[in-house]
Amino acid sequence: MVTRVTPDLSVQLGRLHLAYPTLMGSGCYGSGIEYAPFVDLARIGAVVLKSVTRQPRLGNPTPRLVHTPAGMLNAIGLQNPGIAWYLEHDVAKYADRPCAMVGSVAGFSIDDYAYVCERLAARAEIDAIELNISCPNVASEGETFACDPALTAKVVRAARATTDKTLIVKLSPNVTDIAAVAREAEAAGADALAVINTVRGMAIDVEAWRPRLGNVTGGLSGAAIRPIAVLAVYEVARAVRIPIVGQGGIETVTDALEFFLAGASAISIGTANFTDPRTPERIVAGLSEYLQRRNLTRIGAIVGRANRGFANRQEYEGDQG
Amino acid sequence: MPLLESTARVHATTVVDRRELAAGIIVLGFDAPELVAATRPGQYLMAIPPGGEVCATALGIYEAQGTRASILFFVTGKRTRALAELRPGDALTVMGPLGVGFDLSGGVRDVAIVAGGVGIASVLLPAQALLRAGARVQLYYGARNAALLVDAERFVTEGCELLAATDDGSRGHHGYVHEALARAPHAPDLILACGPTPMLRAVAKVAAERRVPAQLSLEETFACGVGGCWGCVVPIAATSAQAPSFPPAALGGSDVVNARVCTEGPVFWAHDLRW
Repeated sequence: MVTRVTPDLSVQLGRLHLAYPTLMGSGCYGSGIEYAPFVDLARIGAVVLKSVTRQPRLGNPTPRLVHTPAGMLNAIGLQNPGIAWYLEHDVAKYADRPCAMVGSVAGFSIDDYAYVCERLAARAEIDAIELNISCPNVASEGETFACDPALTAKVVRAARATTDKTLIVKLSPNVTDIAAVAREAEAAGADALAVINTVRGMAIDVEAWRPRLGNVTGGLSGAAIRPIAVLAVYEVARAVRIPIVGQGGIETVTDALEFFLAGASAISIGTANFTDPRTPERIVAGLSEYLQRRNLTRIGAIVGRANRGFANRQEYEGDQG
Repeated sequence: MPLLESTARVHATTVVDRRELAAGIIVLGFDAPELVAATRPGQYLMAIPPGGEVCATALGIYEAQGTRASILFFVTGKRTRALAELRPGDALTVMGPLGVGFDLSGGVRDVAIVAGGVGIASVLLPAQALLRAGARVQLYYGARNAALLVDAERFVTEGCELLAATDDGSRGHHGYVHEALARAPHAPDLILACGPTPMLRAVAKVAAERRVPAQLSLEETFACGVGGCWGCVVPIAATSAQAPSFPPAALGGSDVVNARVCTEGPVFWAHDLRW
C-alpha cells in the first residue's frame, strides 16, 4: 500500500530548524531580498547572506564574471559595506523574514572572524552564522584558513566562543584532504559544514593576451564542478558526524538527490538561481515527489544512503589478471 | 509589505513572432501584457535559456506595445543561439522589466540617440516616448555595413531623423558613428546611447567636448541580473544619485564606488562614470 502523506523535508542544523532543506548560496542571493519579486522566499529553507567583513571592501576590479562551459568563473572580491554599517543599515530589514537568514562572515585574521561573528550573531534577525573561510578571490589569507586544518580549528574555535547560534563552516575544495579539514572544524565546534565553495580557475582572452578576470583567478561554479562537490560531500560525510550542506552545481532534483545520497542533510543552490530563480521551488517539489514515490516520509531517510565508503582491495580482486 | 518594491516578475510567455532582420540578428515577439505595462524605456529583461545553458541572458526590451513585447539580439553564443531557434508557439520565460532606464524627464526638445549594432534594441522605446512628447529625435546609427543597420527604416517611420554610419561606407558616414555625432552642426540638448563599450566611451568624450549631458546604457557580463551577485559593477562617482548606499569608509579613500550595471543601471549619466 502506498501512503500519500506529504514527506517531511525539514532539517535540523545544530539549533537551526529549517522547514525546507534548501539554502541559497552566499554571494549568489545578495541581501536575500533581490529575489523576492521572483520567488516565494517562504518556500525555501534559508538565505545565506553575502559575506560581510570587519572593514568595508570595494571588491575586485572588473571584469568579475566569465561564462565558461557548464558554469561560470567569478571574482567579486567580497565587496561589502563592513560590519558596522551592515548592522546599522542592513540587518533590521530581516525582522519580518519569510525564511531563515544565515549571516556569512569573512575575514583576514582569526580576530576578524571572531569580531564580525560575535556582532552579527548577536542580532535577533540573524538565525545562524556561516564562516566563509574559503573565499578563493581575495589576496592570500582568505582561503588560507580552509586550506590548513590547524588554522581552520583556530578560526572555528574563536568564532564558536562568540555565539551559541548554529555555526556552519564553509570548506574549500582546493585542498588535498578535505576530510582532514572537516574533522578539525567539527572538533573545534562547528554545527554543520558547507561543502564546497568554488573551485579555483581561470580563463584567458586569446586576442588580448591576458586573463579574462580583473582578479586574474576566480572561483568556478555551476554544473562543471558538480562531480567534484559530490565526492567532497561523500568524503566529508565519512569523516564527521555533524550535518553537511551540500553544494556545487545543483540544478535539478536529480542533482540534489546525489548530494543527499552522498551524505548531505541539506543542499545549497547558487549559480542555478542565475539561470532560473524558480530552481529551488522545483527541487523542493521534486524531492517531495521522489520521497512519495519511494514511500519515504522524510528527507532524512535518504541522507548518506549511497555512501558505501571506498572500494577496497577485495572489490578490485575480480579485475586482477 | 513586500520585501522589495519592484514591478519585475517571472513571465511565462509564448513566442508569437520571429523575424530575422539580417544574418544572425533576430527579433522574437511574445505576449506579455504585464511586462509591457511595467516597462520603461531603457529597461531590459533576463531571458531564461531554453537550451539549459548556465545563466539567463540579459537583453534590452525592444518593443513594448499593447500585449506584445519583443527582444532583438545578435546570435553570439550558445544561449543566444538557443533563443534564435525558438519559433512561434514555443515557450519563452523572461524576468523583467529590470534595471533603471533612461531619464526622459526635464522637457528635452532636441535629442540625439546613438546606437551601435544591436544596441538599437534599447533605443526604440525612448525614441517613441520622446517623439510622443514632441521632441526632435536624431538617430545616429552605426554598424559594420548597411545590411546590419537593421530596422533603420522603422525608426524613420516612427519620426526619427536617421544619420547612418558604417565601417565599410556602404551607407551614410564612412567610419564610426560618434564621428558623425561630433560633426553635427548643432549640439542636441541630450544624448542617449547604447552600443559596444568602445562606442560608448567615444560618445561620452564627444558629449563632454560639446557640453551635452549624455546617458549611456552599458553592457556588462551578468550572472544574476537582479542585483544579487555584484558581478557586473562599474566604477561611478560616489556623489552620483545612482551610487549604491555605501558608507564613505567603503570608498577606500577615493570618491569612486562600484555600482551594479544590472540594478543601479544599466543607464548611467556619462559624467558619473569613472571607467
